[in-house]
Amino acid sequence: MDRPNFFEFFMSRLSDVISQTVTHLQITGLAVFLAVLIGVPIGIYITRNKVVARNVLGVANILQTLPSLALFGLMIPLMGIGFNLAVFVLFLYALLPIIKNTYTGIVGVDDSMIESGRGMGMTNAQLLRMVQIPLALPVIMAGIRIATVINIGTATIAALIGAGGLGSFIFRGISMGNNNLILTGAIPAAILALVVDWILGLIEYRITPKGVRK
Amino acid sequence: MIEFKKLSKSYDGKTNVVDRLDMTINDGELVVLIGESGCGKTTTMKMINRLIEPTGGEILIDGKNIMEMNPIQLRRNIGYVIQKVGLMPHMSVGDNIELVAYLKNWDKQKRRARSRELLKLVNLDPDQYIDRYPNELSGGQQQRVGVARALAVNPDIILMDEPFSAVDPMTRETLQEELIKLQSEVKKTIVFVTHDMDEALKLGDKIAVMQGGKIIQYDSPEKILKEPVNDFVEYFVGKDRLWKSPEMLYARDIMQKRPAVVLEHRTPAYALEVMRKRDTDFLVVVDAPYDQPQKMLGVVTPKELKGKGMVENNRMIDIMRKDYPTVTERTSMVNVLNIMKQEGLNYIPVIEEGSNLLTGLITHGSIVNIITDALVDSEVGKEAL
Ligand SMILES: Nc1ncnc2c1ncn2[C@@H]1O[C@H](COP(=O)(O)OP(=O)(O)OP(=O)(O)O)[C@@H](O)[C@H]1O
Ligand SMILES: [Mg+2]
Repeated sequence: MDRPNFFEFFMSRLSDVISQTVTHLQITGLAVFLAVLIGVPIGIYITRNKVVARNVLGVANILQTLPSLALFGLMIPLMGIGFNLAVFVLFLYALLPIIKNTYTGIVGVDDSMIESGRGMGMTNAQLLRMVQIPLALPVIMAGIRIATVINIGTATIAALIGAGGLGSFIFRGISMGNNNLILTGAIPAAILALVVDWILGLIEYRITPKGVRK
Repeated sequence: MIEFKKLSKSYDGKTNVVDRLDMTINDGELVVLIGESGCGKTTTMKMINRLIEPTGGEILIDGKNIMEMNPIQLRRNIGYVIQKVGLMPHMSVGDNIELVAYLKNWDKQKRRARSRELLKLVNLDPDQYIDRYPNELSGGQQQRVGVARALAVNPDIILMDEPFSAVDPMTRETLQEELIKLQSEVKKTIVFVTHDMDEALKLGDKIAVMQGGKIIQYDSPEKILKEPVNDFVEYFVGKDRLWKSPEMLYARDIMQKRPAVVLEHRTPAYALEVMRKRDTDFLVVVDAPYDQPQKMLGVVTPKELKGKGMVENNRMIDIMRKDYPTVTERTSMVNVLNIMKQEGLNYIPVIEEGSNLLTGLITHGSIVNIITDALVDSEVGKEAL
């Protein structure tokens, strides 16, 4: 077929690819950003109460298991189609890994740290700020990384609801039977996921406190 | 001064894991809480800095009820060292030590100066260690930093929960010695929890032996060793323990309490009869019978009774040896043994300090008995393991 000229095909659409990549990143970036904003405090909050924790994590789990297409479909009547809807749905997907990792990270801080912190006269807020969050940070960051990478993949589907992004090449390619077009969306999406994963990995390492780096 | 008044704690509302404790810990004393696992040592200690709230009774510090104090302020003024050290792994040694000072808003320079000073105090070179992270230290070094941290803002009271139990025995001994030295310099009021009787005897000014949430005995190490109030304490101390600290043994601990005696006016024949009956060849000549205070006048042995000694009319008072060496109840065992060896004695009477009243007699036999007891006990102990 037209595989031999994929490179030319791709280069001819480079500016298009770039602008869709930007849109793609905007959707995922904004979704993850909001998920961090909401999810980290929730994750911290639920460490104070086991029952609440179980319920919140349960709900977030269910959200995660809904097929993304179904979720988009369900939300269209509420939010209309487009960018906002895409961000919202991806936000819901990012929430679970972030809440869960925040929760696990904080709960996983060694009891003896908490005890000695309290014993030295830290208030709850100081304990959180000076002990629990710094020590949980690598785990929280790992959650953000997972959420982001998953979302870069899922965001391709957002094209279906008119939000744009690299998925638009893929779905147009599918409907037109144009493999070059499919690859023009798929390959950058895959590379994007890898690169973002790598960058977030670096950040994760950098924010891991020196004394606890492996 | 820390006072417990009917201090109780129950987790389930039914059983008291700490049960109506009454106890006073004086300023500058190192008090050891010791007892078997689960007897309530940690719970008792954590009530002092309100990490655990009592369900009954109260704790007073310098006369003030701690429940009326702000718990955060209270804790900042009480040093705290735990078994797992609890150094913050993401903070440098210096930052760890300075943590409480930071919480109390000391300025940075003052904090740094203080942590350098404290590192020196616990025998760590500040230049080398202040910027290290806890995972770059050995267990013993970490525990030293833990102690330094507890001293950071110079609190009057320090709580230590099995601080040395996670390090190897050699390091533990070093740390114990360092603590003794440190305490002689800083004179804090220290509450120290341990499982280890050797540690308790070594460090404690006083030891509180706990069982089932109660204090069974609260005494000086010496008293705990020598006068355990019941079988539990005795078992817990271990009978052979005394022998590991011979400097704590005195004449009164090894003497026989009712030595064979003879009254001053008795005849040689009578003395011989007593010797035969009591199966001994050494009698202390005294001025009164057993039921009264007996002043020691001298001693008789077969040597004095021989020859002219056997003359019918002689009385003990005439033939006894008068210049026989004696020791007092508080002569240490080591000295007793030295005197006996130097003078070539098989027997040495023990008299009350400042008077001539006879209180006992040390014989080779009584020493051998005690040694045998100790050895047999520790052998039995080993087999029981
Ligand atoms: N948070 C808790 N909830 C319920 N029970 C507890 C709690 N903490 C301690 N206990 C119980 O209270 C009793 C005393 O515990 P504590 O920790 O004071 O013992 P301990 O003497 O320090 O023992 P160890 O030598 O093992 O440290 C134990 O029976 C323990 O199981
Ligand atoms: Mg304990």
